[in-house]
Amino acid sequence: MVNSVAMRLTASPMLQWGLILGLMLAQIVAEAKESSRLSRGEAEGLFAAKIQPLLEQRCHACHGGDPDKIKGEYTMLTGRAMRRGGQTFQPALVSGKPDESPFYLAITWKSEDLQMPPKENDRMTPQQIGWIRDWIMAGAPWPKDMVAARLAAGNRWNAPGEVTVPTSGGLSDAWTQRTYEPARLWAYHPLRKPVPPGKGHPVDAFLRARFPEGVHFAPRAKPRALLRRVSFNMTGLPPRPDEMRSFLKDTIRDPDKAWAHVIDRLLDSPHHGEQMARHWLDVVRYADSAGFANDYPRPNAWRYRDYVIRSFNEDKPYHHFVREQLAGDTLKTDDPEHLIATGFLRMGPWEHTSMSVFRVTRQQWLDDVTDSVGQTFLGHALQCAKCHDHKFDPLPTRDYYRMRAAFSTTQFAGREAPFLEQENTEGFDQAERWTRAKLDQYRLQHSKLKARVDKLRKQEFSAAKVGENGLDPGDENSLARMNKNIQKHVWELDKVQPIVLSVYTGNTVTRNNIGKRLLLPKDPWAKGYLETDHILTGGNVYAPGEPVTPGALSAVSSLGGMPNPDFPEGRGNRRLALADWIVDPSNPLTARVIANRVWAWHFGRGLAGNPNNLGVTGKLPTHPALLDWLAATLVEEGWSIKRLHRIILSSEAYRSSIQHPEKVAMDQHDPERLSYAVFRPRRLVAEEFRDAMLAASGELNRQLGGVPCRPDMNPEVAMQPRQIMGGTASVYEPDPLPMQRNRRSIYAEKTRGLRDPFLEMFNQPGPDKSCELRETSTIAPQALTLMNSGEIQDRSLAFASRVLSESTSDTAAVNQVFLLALGRSATPHESRACMQHWRDAAKEEEGKQHEPHRYATRITRTVMAEKTGEPYTFVEHMPVYESYVPDLQSSEVDARTRALAQVCLVVFNSNEFAYLQ
Amino acid sequence: MMNPSHNQTVGSRRRFLFELGAGLGPLALSSMLQGDDKVPHHKSKAKSCIFLFMEGGPSHIDTFDPKPELSRRHLSEFNRSGEQESAMSSGKRYFVGSPFQFSKAGQCGADFSLPWRHLRGVADDLCFYRGCQVESVNHPTACYHVNTGNRFGGDPGLGAWVTYGLGSINANLPGFVVLPRNAYPQGGAANWSNGYLPAQFQGTPLRPEGSPILNLQAPAELGRARQRSNLDLLARLNRHHAEGHPMQDELEARMASYELAYRMQMEVPGVVDLQGESPRTLERYGVGNEPTDAFGRKCLLARRLVEKGVRFVQAYAGNWDSHDYIARAHGNLIEAVDRPIAALIGDLKERGMLEETLIVFCGEFGRTPDNGLRSGGKSYGRDHNAKAMTLWLAGGGTRAGHTLGATDALGAEAVESVHPMRDVHVTLLHLLGLDDNRLTYHHAGRFKQLSQFGGQLIQGLLA
Repeated sequence: MVNSVAMRLTASPMLQWGLILGLMLAQIVAEAKESSRLSRGEAEGLFAAKIQPLLEQRCHACHGGDPDKIKGEYTMLTGRAMRRGGQTFQPALVSGKPDESPFYLAITWKSEDLQMPPKENDRMTPQQIGWIRDWIMAGAPWPKDMVAARLAAGNRWNAPGEVTVPTSGGLSDAWTQRTYEPARLWAYHPLRKPVPPGKGHPVDAFLRARFPEGVHFAPRAKPRALLRRVSFNMTGLPPRPDEMRSFLKDTIRDPDKAWAHVIDRLLDSPHHGEQMARHWLDVVRYADSAGFANDYPRPNAWRYRDYVIRSFNEDKPYHHFVREQLAGDTLKTDDPEHLIATGFLRMGPWEHTSMSVFRVTRQQWLDDVTDSVGQTFLGHALQCAKCHDHKFDPLPTRDYYRMRAAFSTTQFAGREAPFLEQENTEGFDQAERWTRAKLDQYRLQHSKLKARVDKLRKQEFSAAKVGENGLDPGDENSLARMNKNIQKHVWELDKVQPIVLSVYTGNTVTRNNIGKRLLLPKDPWAKGYLETDHILTGGNVYAPGEPVTPGALSAVSSLGGMPNPDFPEGRGNRRLALADWIVDPSNPLTARVIANRVWAWHFGRGLAGNPNNLGVTGKLPTHPALLDWLAATLVEEGWSIKRLHRIILSSEAYRSSIQHPEKVAMDQHDPERLSYAVFRPRRLVAEEFRDAMLAASGELNRQLGGVPCRPDMNPEVAMQPRQIMGGTASVYEPDPLPMQRNRRSIYAEKTRGLRDPFLEMFNQPGPDKSCELRETSTIAPQALTLMNSGEIQDRSLAFASRVLSESTSDTAAVNQVFLLALGRSATPHESRACMQHWRDAAKEEEGKQHEPHRYATRITRTVMAEKTGEPYTFVEHMPVYESYVPDLQSSEVDARTRALAQVCLVVFNSNEFAYLQ
Repeated sequence: MMNPSHNQTVGSRRRFLFELGAGLGPLALSSMLQGDDKVPHHKSKAKSCIFLFMEGGPSHIDTFDPKPELSRRHLSEFNRSGEQESAMSSGKRYFVGSPFQFSKAGQCGADFSLPWRHLRGVADDLCFYRGCQVESVNHPTACYHVNTGNRFGGDPGLGAWVTYGLGSINANLPGFVVLPRNAYPQGGAANWSNGYLPAQFQGTPLRPEGSPILNLQAPAELGRARQRSNLDLLARLNRHHAEGHPMQDELEARMASYELAYRMQMEVPGVVDLQGESPRTLERYGVGNEPTDAFGRKCLLARRLVEKGVRFVQAYAGNWDSHDYIARAHGNLIEAVDRPIAALIGDLKERGMLEETLIVFCGEFGRTPDNGLRSGGKSYGRDHNAKAMTLWLAGGGTRAGHTLGATDALGAEAVESVHPMRDVHVTLLHLLGLDDNRLTYHHAGRFKQLSQFGGQLIQGLLA
């Protein structure tokens, strides 16, 4: 039936199939149950209502009408053809005898060698297989009038409540008329606030209502564990010792008041916005570079990052947050903040080079932004609908292109917008100084080399061959490399300019390639062309189909009972219309999506298990009523995210211990811990790991916002040649001063083509795809990183030095290590073990000479010259090392400190440091 | 850690050095070190794969696909325009003939340009394919496409899929090893990403310079004894913490990962050290001589890794992006890889390993028959071409001594046995005993697969 199957059996297909069929037959006959026979009319109805749409969706791509695509010479477009069969089987379907019909046997997937449809995604369910069986039993009748038969069948074959969904219409009638299990459409139904099913905190009441028999909430977590948990969850940082002390003291007096106070304090902390922004930036794929061949800088992306941090800190109502990111440029044109917000639309990786075709790259962005808006705000990946009506969601291709049309007048620009008072400009001098120094060096090198090459070129006689007259293509390679890096660094100078990574509305202007900031045109409609909006057949930009007008997801409107949206066309404000549709209080998805995200940020798991996918294929919510209550409350409370935090944090569920006294009952009734009767521990994420080490060592610079910082990076990676279009990218140079480097990880420059190996090692997601929740994997190279890397050595040494300077005795020092890293004192047993470890290490260190590290200001590198296929060598200057101040070095401290650093290193490696309880 | 679909698609779960996760008690540790195979979907000859990635896009026209007609039109001018042309490929263009002569080799009469002096000796072991087309003309997107099936990156690499499907035979080495050049390719490490597959399926680069694996060794000032002592203290602290903790398995796995890391420090250097090889072998691969040293090392290392049970080795060579000076550039590049690859194939054959090792030679796209004219026609090269390329396979149940597919008279476009890259992916998986439609991973509500949407087996490449 499909090529791979058919071709493997060329020798003697019928013989082999006979054998297989025989075996399968025995198996199936043994399993077959008596099924009541359908009348011809009933079977026709079943075929029209259920089977025909199924065949169309799962089989016709290879067994339909397109002669180029037919596999195994088998088409299924008519009853006759379906019976007749193809290359491998004749007949393929025997009326009344499913067990003798290869077609039927194939869809059961009973044999390893005969499985159709071949893809896991398309496999038929037992219910669907049953329908086909019954239909064949009834003689496999093929209705003359499919639509009439479908109408006649009515609801007969639908599960109770199974529904069709009104949409803007699929590419086929069968798709338009297909039905859905209502449970799977939960997220589309109007959002109503359910009444909590009990007394007390509503969150707890909803959770209790679904506890398995005999399960209760675990007791509250111990205060130390609780404060560490909530501090990391709310700010990404550990509690400070004084915060721990006062929380313990307050808890003894009045635990609820103490807890309320902590919630207030954390919600007011400026670091709260940083932690929430980290979550948000994972979803929107924040990076400071554009990715792909050139990986050009996005020098002003940081203003968007800080906008997100500010928004969470200021508790910007979520519906404003959404509108600003989608259409801020059209809302308040004179407000920098509104322009900065639209950086969201530019977050995906994108470039246009001289190799690319403009229409294609333009389409890539349109597709990217459409899908990103779907995932981010609506919990729906839309990309599937780019080529075909969605296989599972009520999402026709038409909707995809309607929504995409909301962006077809959106154009890129680096727009001017003065810096706000809240924006941190402190790092400007350093950033600009380094970039200019880098540029100066490149320009000097370039002019020398160019003079040489020009001179040789002049001498070249007309029949000269490559390499004659000393004209070395390696030199030409070097010129290209310098030019490209000069171009990048010039663009990088924009970092300190009052420019925003933004958009405007206007005509599309074809470009050859884009390697610098795009300017805002005086008249956005003067040049270029107004894009026309079509369904693109098969997603192909050169195959425009039916025209469409801007719009949104029709199933969401129809099932959610939303008013009919009115989308402008032409030069109208399409994006704003889309934004308004998204934040319309009657939009059933928006509030559920964000409420589910916030829940997941606290509990490590969404109430609906796929925060980016609330559609038919996403995990169903474990507590749908609770999710609806949270979402409805969010809207009611003016879309205040901080109110939502407050509600969640004040629940018993959040304060539960990770240990449940009734472990046996829990293992029996709730093995996956879906009930929230007990809190699930989690590992620190990459950024928290680094920030927590810096916090413990006392090196963390807690300054907010500003141009990206450059922490120290594993030098082997930092200096490794990295290919970009036209040559080798500049090496990575860290910032010169410890306080500039040791800032929170969210401020670390994020270059798509150069991931920080430390953060990447601990599952920091790549910025190319939206990440709904972090993964946690445990692999041996993580242990290598935490034992051997420069980061861990530096932090451990600084930590030891800090502790010694703050302690009056050795035991107090060891205890301080535990207090600062783990939020508790060392037990006597631990204290003894660590003291012994320290003494042993000190003995080894005694008398050892540690040499200070020397930093070269230039590096010689050998790479392959593209033009010659030979290695060539060049020198690159690294201006930062003219003024680089390393973190505390082992040569600067005594043996005792170095030895204590070994204790610190072990504590940083401990499971207790890595996991929150 | 594994998602539920994992069990549906592979026979037995196996664990190896890099694969540590939840559910790993002390008893599981010993079985983890022994390692066990997963069951493939069907019988196949190939047990492992060496993928020679020719980064930059080698020109089929100047290597394995001679175009005499092009030589006749050398430097003849034509104009091209249209909305499907990029800035690079439109405007005034000139056909350029290959600077190289061609000759046939082997019983099968395969075509080689003259700079191939050694590979032609194993011509009858190769299966050339001239029908492949890709979807992108930019390096990183094309590299992502060939490596991961998705132009935009972020998906698992071929090696990750193969390791996920077949497991590793060796407990002490990762199943998917990458041998990059000292300069990483455009698009970086995303070319060997685990994507949405669990992290242990990520390609592990063995770096040609410096530490083969990052942070493999502790700083020189710290002795091994100190490190052992640190690990012992760590174990004590962790034992105390684990008492009554609900995540015993995960915590134990993390502790086990430290012991394994400690052992890796001793074992990995031995694997990458080529000292044990005979001078004859080193000479054969071109190790120690220029310009073959760098790729010779990679080919020899690839053989050693496969011998030790690594499933998938990807070795990078390049940069083949010869927009200019193609005579000199391609001439040098061929020389740099010719002897090492011939040695690899010969060596595997002599050891009886070629039949169970699939070798792939492939770039991210082919090159154009035409060029914008540079320096009066003296420094011509070729631009990117997604519509035509030559790749070849060897060993592992491929159809040796055969050429499948053809390009048009100018080498501009594949016209016979044309298939998209996803069909090549399906075929490579098939050769390794895996069915693309069943090698799936459930992620974000969908069963995902290497070919993205399914593909077709290219029967003509199979023995």
